[in-house]
Amino acid sequence: MTSARLIVVLAAGLACAGAFARDIHYGAVTDPEILECDAKHWRGRVDESALCYANLLRSETPASTKAEAAWALNNLKQANEWFRAAMAESPDDHATKVRWGDLFAASHQDGEAMEIYREVLAVDAGNAFAMMGAARVLVDSFEEAANSYIEPILEGVVPDEGALLGAWLLIARVGLENGNYDEARDALDHAADLIAKNEWPPVELYALRESLDLLTNRDTGDWTQQSLDFNPRWGGIYAVPAHFYVITRRYRAAIDLFDKAVEIEPGLAAAHEELGINLLRDNQMTRARGHLEMAYERDPFSPRAVNTLRLMDSYVNFRLIEDMPDTDKEVPVILRLHKDEADAIAPYAIEIVRASIDVYTERYGFELREPVVVEMYPDHEDFAVRTAGMPGLGILGAAFGYVIAMDSPSGRSPDEFQWGNVLWHEMAHVFTLEATNHLVPRWFSEGVSVFEEWRSGPNPGVRIPMSVYNAMKDDLLLPIAQLDEGFVRPTYANQVIVSYMQAGLVCDFIDRHVGPDKLREMLVAFRDGMLSDEAIATVIGVTPDEFDDAFAHYVEAEHGQFLEKLDAWHETQTGIAGKIEAGEWEGAITMADELIGLLPQYVEPDSPYLAKARAQRESGDDAGALATLETYWREGGSSPVWLKRLADLFADAGREDDAIAVHRSINLVDPLDSELHGEFGDMLLQAGRAEEARREYEIAIFLQPHDMATAWYRLARAEYALGNVETSQGHLLQALDVAPSFRPAQRLLLQLASAGADPRDANNTE
Amino acid sequence: MRRSHPAAALLLAPIICAAELHVLVVEGLPGEDRYREQFSRQVSSIERGANSLTSSERVHVLRTGEATRDAVLAHIESLQTDVGNDDQLAIFLIGHGSYDDYEYKFNLAGPDLTGNDLAAALNNMAAGNQLVVNTSSASGATAELLAADDRILVLATKSGTERHATRFGSYFAAALSDSAADIDKNEIITVREAFDFAERQVGDYFERHNQLATEHPRLHGDRAERVALARLGGTQPPVVDTGLAELIAERDALNADIDALRLARDDMPLSEYQALLLEKMLELAMLEDAIEAREAELETND
Repeated sequence: MTSARLIVVLAAGLACAGAFARDIHYGAVTDPEILECDAKHWRGRVDESALCYANLLRSETPASTKAEAAWALNNLKQANEWFRAAMAESPDDHATKVRWGDLFAASHQDGEAMEIYREVLAVDAGNAFAMMGAARVLVDSFEEAANSYIEPILEGVVPDEGALLGAWLLIARVGLENGNYDEARDALDHAADLIAKNEWPPVELYALRESLDLLTNRDTGDWTQQSLDFNPRWGGIYAVPAHFYVITRRYRAAIDLFDKAVEIEPGLAAAHEELGINLLRDNQMTRARGHLEMAYERDPFSPRAVNTLRLMDSYVNFRLIEDMPDTDKEVPVILRLHKDEADAIAPYAIEIVRASIDVYTERYGFELREPVVVEMYPDHEDFAVRTAGMPGLGILGAAFGYVIAMDSPSGRSPDEFQWGNVLWHEMAHVFTLEATNHLVPRWFSEGVSVFEEWRSGPNPGVRIPMSVYNAMKDDLLLPIAQLDEGFVRPTYANQVIVSYMQAGLVCDFIDRHVGPDKLREMLVAFRDGMLSDEAIATVIGVTPDEFDDAFAHYVEAEHGQFLEKLDAWHETQTGIAGKIEAGEWEGAITMADELIGLLPQYVEPDSPYLAKARAQRESGDDAGALATLETYWREGGSSPVWLKRLADLFADAGREDDAIAVHRSINLVDPLDSELHGEFGDMLLQAGRAEEARREYEIAIFLQPHDMATAWYRLARAEYALGNVETSQGHLLQALDVAPSFRPAQRLLLQLASAGADPRDANNTE
Repeated sequence: MRRSHPAAALLLAPIICAAELHVLVVEGLPGEDRYREQFSRQVSSIERGANSLTSSERVHVLRTGEATRDAVLAHIESLQTDVGNDDQLAIFLIGHGSYDDYEYKFNLAGPDLTGNDLAAALNNMAAGNQLVVNTSSASGATAELLAADDRILVLATKSGTERHATRFGSYFAAALSDSAADIDKNEIITVREAFDFAERQVGDYFERHNQLATEHPRLHGDRAERVALARLGGTQPPVVDTGLAELIAERDALNADIDALRLARDDMPLSEYQALLLEKMLELAMLEDAIEAREAELETND
């Protein structure tokens, strides 16, 4: 069972596992009165079964029976009380206790559920249903310990066909999530045998078979119709496949299925919740709220519904900014930004989105058909809730199609977050997703996004963290056929980032060494329903193994020389730190030069360029520091502190155009520093670019700088330079209202008042 | 050439001109080299600011090494004979502090200076106008101990439990020579302006680095906007020319009118306010031109 073990260990969360308030239990309950009601329920005779369960609650039945009946009627609180009573009456009734645990698991209280399963297993080590319950909870929370519970069931050490069926269904789900379709198919075949033998309801099996067909673009049977024939009121037949659409980012297809799920089973809280969250991903706010509220009404314990509704409540603090297109061929761009930073970010965000649309439309031959919506969240956890319904997400941005959500520049330190590049990256996803009807595999979509960041992004340059070089040296890159696994189930620290970079390198390899049109052709292949191996064979003309060989040669050619000296790199890097610490600037410069020679494109935060620039500055060599920082910047370096120094050095050297270009780079990293906008505006105004200067000054004022008088005065100068004398005078009065003695403002005011004021004199009032 | 500016004349004349300003700047133990450089820079900046307002004889700086508890207390005691009720005393403590849930200590060579030491020394002073600026970690622990009428307190932290080395001191010292801190552009940096500038910079720093703020500066006392810390551009020469003095007096009166207009802003339609403001501002600007011209004329004659 090695393969099953590996699958279960790092399975993505089974978000649909809680889709059913009271799952089919496959023999975990043996009470005949309950089974009689269940039999009605499982065939979709909902009214009859509800009456049946209600009668059990009203009649003289054991507490355990009432607990199951209350649970079936979705009265979780009452069910909990009856389970408690049942356990008080019969403390050794392990089967009922396990069901109590199942109730907790179904109501999002995994900790309590696990406690109960463990208590049962402590006194009844072979309790197969307790093991299955524990395994489900642990798989959901990515715990490796799930294997220790599921293996004895699969190996027959703990013989119980109901638990065994649960195990095969769980393995099938995990296999589908991970793309291990053959293993999933095998598990479903095992499950089918057990269901037939025991005459258990087959609907869950049908739902997973339907999912397998959807994921593999095959049609092995009319599973949906068979399920509806068996139970026309079981929403899972739509909700389960919909879940697999969600994890493969086919959100609109998922919405259609979730819609059908709640249509035939209106009480299915998890389907309402997923429908709400996915409608939100499709920017259908009103419908999303409606379904989330229905989910909350039916399942008030669900953190995803509660979190998402709270997030939507916070939208009163956000502003919608629409940028309408100039031509019919373009699409509108809609920004949802926090009101405290909207005006500072919007101009740049719109510029980036529009530029990316131009680049990607031409490159990938696909024209967007709907408005692009970009949401930026100052609080990272809001972004996480927006993306996954829960906090604790490690990514910076996400694209759901035409809707992008990401951290706002204020959500992270500017030293660690190039928001402009992230937006560029996410815009590439918009194209790869939409151009393929969301059929693009993750590795290719991420690869194109990373590759475009490097090649065409607002701050271009191949930025590969050192941890990725370490992984290359340790031969940790994955075969192309398995690259998706590096994103969804990493097996070592940093594997996700390694996978991003590998995917980017793969696209670089395809573009540069296979053919410049091949990336576009790959998208067409995916759009036509090909899986990765078929697409590679069709477009590139090789098998995945041959592709891996060719890619390995590319990596060797591009990076092999450096990888051979990686250990020396680390040693020298440590040595530089020591030289800097000791103030031995010449030594530091020599060592930094050595590293720069080895890897000139390395501009991460520990880049030798920065150590060298510091040493040069400390030793008074400003010209040298300028040259070093210029190279760092042109290679894609983005430290705002160092770029600010570079801009100053450029300005001091009379290279105003370069200083302006550097300031643009800074804005793509740190757009919320009012003083930087003011200084940038001064440069632009000095260069005769008053229109752009005005934009910078307006942003500075929006950010409420400490020195408002200067901010208003600067804006007045720009308006004056643009010939807007009256507006300029208004801004001057705002400056003088704050600071009546402000001489430059006074002088410009007099200048405006004098006959024949010439706006070209805007720079001569200091 | 820097001149006397209207707000300075209006608001600060009683403090700058009519009374003497005595300044003591104490540089504490740095602990690490990086703090040695920082503290030294801060002390120099404060010293420059003080020298732009008062005679250098009345600015006393105790650098690291010479700054001991005894030296600090002895200097304060020595001022008792020189400082009158109307005079102003400003004490700056630049360094590290500590608080053990019982007592605040400012770190010096030898025995530290405690909050109680400082309170006792200052309470014995005749000077009615006192300013204490303590940029050290845990300085907030002295807030209640040092609170007194006519005493302005600037503390880098809100309590003694904020024990990390502070950033506040660097920003506060920088404000004394940064025109961005001079909100009203009168070329005078007041305690309020320096505090507001530094407080904002501290907040911005932690926000921009997504870190929990480990310091929250405090300002106590209601005259902070009336007490000067530095004059941008250095010392102001005395006005000896009658014509210039008349222009300055005229400007002071106009500034008073403008202040009155600004106070009445809410009592009139905005358009009327703006029209009146424009009229006054043009008048003020022309008057400033005249003053500048006269100053230039006098300079040429010299």
